[in-house]
Amino acid sequence: MLNFQENKLTQTIKDKAPLRPIESIPDLCLSCGTCSAGCPITGISGFDPRKIVRMVLEGSDQELIDSPLPWLCTMCGKCEHACPMGINIVNIIRTARGMVDRDKVPGMIHKGVELDLETGNNLGLPAEDFKFIIEDVAGELAETPGFEDFQVPFDKQGANLLHTLHNKLVNTQNEDLVHWWKIFYKAKEDWTIPSVNWEGVNWGLFSGDDDAMKVFVGRIVDHMERLEIKNLMYPE
Amino acid sequence: MATRFGLQKWFPDFFDRFGAFTVFDLLVDYIKSGRIQVDKTKITGRIAYHDPCNYGRKSEELFGHGFFDEPRWVLDQCVSDWVDLNPNRANQYCCGGGGGTLLTPYKNERLTYGLKKIQQIRRSGAGMIVLPCHSCHSQIRTLLAENGMTEIAVKYLWELVADILVID
Ligand code: SF4
Ligand code: SF4
Repeated sequence: MLNFQENKLTQTIKDKAPLRPIESIPDLCLSCGTCSAGCPITGISGFDPRKIVRMVLEGSDQELIDSPLPWLCTMCGKCEHACPMGINIVNIIRTARGMVDRDKVPGMIHKGVELDLETGNNLGLPAEDFKFIIEDVAGELAETPGFEDFQVPFDKQGANLLHTLHNKLVNTQNEDLVHWWKIFYKAKEDWTIPSVNWEGVNWGLFSGDDDAMKVFVGRIVDHMERLEIKNLMYPE
Repeated sequence: MATRFGLQKWFPDFFDRFGAFTVFDLLVDYIKSGRIQVDKTKITGRIAYHDPCNYGRKSEELFGHGFFDEPRWVLDQCVSDWVDLNPNRANQYCCGGGGGTLLTPYKNERLTYGLKKIQQIRRSGAGMIVLPCHSCHSQIRTLLAENGMTEIAVKYLWELVADILVID
C-alpha cells in the first residue's frame, strides 16, 4: 500500500496557491480535466464536471437543465477546490438546478420544500403529532438512570440556546433524538426547541430555490426574536 | 451550513444581535469548561473519522474556516485509538450522499459514488466510523449495508460523546 505523507495531504491547494482566484466565470476554463479527475462520479451515467462547464460555455444550458446531471452531483466541492482557474462549478450546478421546472425536480427535494413552506417541516407533520413524538421519546429518557426528570423545553422565552431538529430524527430515527438532549442535560444548558417551524434542514439549498431558502432561514431569525433567545445552535 | 450561509446573505445583522454556535463549538466548550465529562475508557476499538464536505472544505470556502481540528480535538478527549481516512480534511472524498442526492431516485449512482468511501473505511481497519453530519450518517450506513460491512458501526460525533458521558 502506498504510504502518503500526512502533511502533504493535509496542506490545501489554497495554502499553496494563495493568489489563485476563488470564483471566476466558466469562460476561463482550460479544459484541463482536473475537476473530472477529482470527482468521484466522473464517468457514471455520463457525468463529468469538465463537460458540464463546457456545456455552459457552448450555450447548451437548456440541455444541462433538462438532464439528470445536476442532480447526480453531491455539491461536495472537490472539483472546484482543485480547479486551477477557480471556476465555481458547484454554483453552476446549483444554478442549473434552480432553473428546472419545479414539477420536474426529481425525488423528494422539492416536495420537502413545498411541505416545509406549508407546514413548517419537511414531513408535513402536524404540531400535535410532533409534540407527541418528542414527549414520548423524552419520557423514555426521563426513566433512564442519570437523566431523571428530563424534559424537552418547548418555546422557552429567554433561553440561552435554540435547538432545531433534522426531520429524519422526528420521522424514522427517533433513537437519535436523545444524544444532544443527554449532553444538554448534563451540561445544564438552558435550551429550547420551537413547537412550530422546527425544521432544521434547508432543502432550498439543494433545489436551487433561494426564495424558499430565505423563508426557512427567516423562520430561525423569527424564533430568536420572538422567544428572545441569546444563541443559535446551527442546525447543520 | 445552509442556515449560516443564508444568515450571512440575507440577515447579516443577525450576528450583531445573537450568538451562533456550530456543533463543534458546543462540544469543545462543554468539554473544555468541564460542564460535561467523558469516560475515555469506555471505548476500546478503533474509530475512523470522516470529514463532511460541508463542515470542512465548503465551510473553508464560504466562511474562511474549515472545521478540521475541532472534531479531532473532541475525538482525542473521547477515544485512545482513532484514525483518519486518507485523503482527509480539505482533500477528503464526499460520502456520496451530499447535495440532496439522498432525496433523488438515483440510488445506483449514489452507491457507486460511495465506493471510494468504502475503500477508505476498509483500509482504516476501524470498527466504527464517526462523523458529524446527518446526510453522511444515512449514506455511510446504507453503503456499509450494501457492501456487506454491517459489522462496522456508524455514530454521530455527539452520539459518541453522549454515550460516554460521566453520570454521577
Ligand atoms: S479544473 Fe477548472 S479549468 Fe480544469 S477543466 Fe475543470 S473547470 Fe476547467
Ligand atoms: S461537487 Fe459535484 S462535480 Fe464537483 S467533485 Fe463533487 S460531485 Fe463532482
